[in-house]
Amino acid sequence: MSFFTHFRWQDLIDILLNSYILFRLYVLFRGTYVFRVLTGIALLWVLQRIAVFFGLILTSWAMQGITAVAALIIIIIFRNEIRDVLQAKNLKAILWGFPQQSAQTPIEIIVESVNTLSKQHSGALIVFPAKEDLQDVMQSGIPWWGLVSKQMITSIFWPDNPVHDGAAIIQGNRITEVGVILPLSHRNNLPSHYGTRHRAALGLSEVSDALVILVSEETGNVLAAKNSAITKINDDVQLVKVLQEHMGITEEKPAILRKEKFEISVAALVSVLFITGMWFSISKGMDTLITLEVPVEYTKHDPEFEIVDTSVNTVQLQLGGSGALIKSVQPDQVEVRLDLGNAVIGRNSFSITQENISLPPGIILSKITPPVVEVTLDKTITKELPVQVDWVGKLPENIILSQLTIEPEKVEVIGGKRILENISTLYTEKVPLDNIDKSGTLTVSLVLNPASLKIDPGSKDRIKLTYVVKPRGK
Amino acid sequence: MGTKYNLYIFIFVLICCNLFLASHGLPQNNQDTPPTRDSKEPVLDNAVMCEKIKDFTPKNRAVIFSIQIGQVSCFTSFDPVPKKTFIYHKWFHNDKPSTKKKLTLQPPRWATYSTIQLRETDKGHWRVEITDQKGNIFHTVRFTITD
Repeated sequence: MSFFTHFRWQDLIDILLNSYILFRLYVLFRGTYVFRVLTGIALLWVLQRIAVFFGLILTSWAMQGITAVAALIIIIIFRNEIRDVLQAKNLKAILWGFPQQSAQTPIEIIVESVNTLSKQHSGALIVFPAKEDLQDVMQSGIPWWGLVSKQMITSIFWPDNPVHDGAAIIQGNRITEVGVILPLSHRNNLPSHYGTRHRAALGLSEVSDALVILVSEETGNVLAAKNSAITKINDDVQLVKVLQEHMGITEEKPAILRKEKFEISVAALVSVLFITGMWFSISKGMDTLITLEVPVEYTKHDPEFEIVDTSVNTVQLQLGGSGALIKSVQPDQVEVRLDLGNAVIGRNSFSITQENISLPPGIILSKITPPVVEVTLDKTITKELPVQVDWVGKLPENIILSQLTIEPEKVEVIGGKRILENISTLYTEKVPLDNIDKSGTLTVSLVLNPASLKIDPGSKDRIKLTYVVKPRGK
Repeated sequence: MGTKYNLYIFIFVLICCNLFLASHGLPQNNQDTPPTRDSKEPVLDNAVMCEKIKDFTPKNRAVIFSIQIGQVSCFTSFDPVPKKTFIYHKWFHNDKPSTKKKLTLQPPRWATYSTIQLRETDKGHWRVEITDQKGNIFHTVRFTITD
């Protein structure tokens, strides 16, 4: 129950967004091999996790390797499908739209055309691609993109037409390519009367899910090749049935639409359930704790204030969360900021709270050490201080140093107000008395203590001492 | 023309006001700067450190004294002294108050002094602030006690 108290609105968006991405991937790639392979990779990943759970070292290692390589392979092998999906659609179609029903192939026209070709003993090869991309298995023909009509089909396979020996590709209501060279079957058990056209029809059906309708030039027979099998078509009814089965037109249109809507709804539901499950599995169990030492970033608004001292420069944060999230925490993702906007000159105590700490999503703060930070602030001021000489040693007993002129007598120093308030004199470096036996001058430096003090740029940092020595009177 | 002169007068008055305010806004916290005094206040004529006082005269004026001489005196003379009043000799050792001597001044002029006995621990930097009753500093005398 405590887990749900940590459930934030960001988490809801997280789940919905990823569910939608998964759903869109399904919508865009459904029916293609990419989707099937993606499903396979997902299964491999699940297997790998199971193998890890049961401690099967070699299996999990192998699964992990295969999954990693498969992700790369899928992009290379299915580049055409991916390109088709991403290039053929605009951004709106990718993000929002549903693939439109492709134009229905005019089965009646095709049946009529095949009939005519059969009667004329005109050899013909008509390919109806299904889900798989045929670009890699066929030698490219001549792009056509003509609407399907009986006259068009019969003229393509007219014996005097230069492309009549090749196959024609029909997609939707268009003949997309003509004169296409199909791969030949290498089977040895084919009937002897099967010619090259038969072997080509069978060859394509062996390497793809396409349907090939073949009209024999010698006998006028009509045959259909699909899934490595070639069958003779005896009448129009059978041909219509074969074509309808291949195109999935076995039900009435409203029923198809209903089925598609149901399929999409199920996909959407499964996407949400899957991502929700995944989210909970990743962020479940706030049982992992780590302690990070994070530097405290002090932010001050008044440039005249300076931070003289802080009780700590780093704090230890004990963070909780699921193992996966905790492992992914980078030190630079965790920041502790202390706003010194309300601080005053002197010692200030600040309690570090959740508001001062920025954490990656899903990470819970459980402890701060130390919870209170002390910051001493000071204001930079300039103060004029008299200079006094730091004499050391001893003068000879017979003389006295009767007069001393210090130039300059006063020096302006810059430093913290609190520091300068307690300083009333600036001292020079140590000046030995032992060598002094007559009047003279010396130039000495100032000693700034503490070192944070600075001599104002307008003041001299070298002090000239002019002294007068007299014999001691009785 | 009249308007133009009015403008110049206005600017001149503003500048004068600024100068006046600036001169009166300067910080007055400089302890070594003698404050402005009226004529009823005594005027410091001389302030020196010496080894001893003989016949009301400072002997062996100096800025460095050996600890071995045993004592050191701060001699001050005021001229004029308009009326009987008091001053203070505030002795500071290494910037910390050490002792404070209250001394009487008699008109029309007066010389007075204060003396401290030196111990081994008195080596270091000294200063004597000569102040009036209100704490206004007449002068600060600095000296050093060495070996």
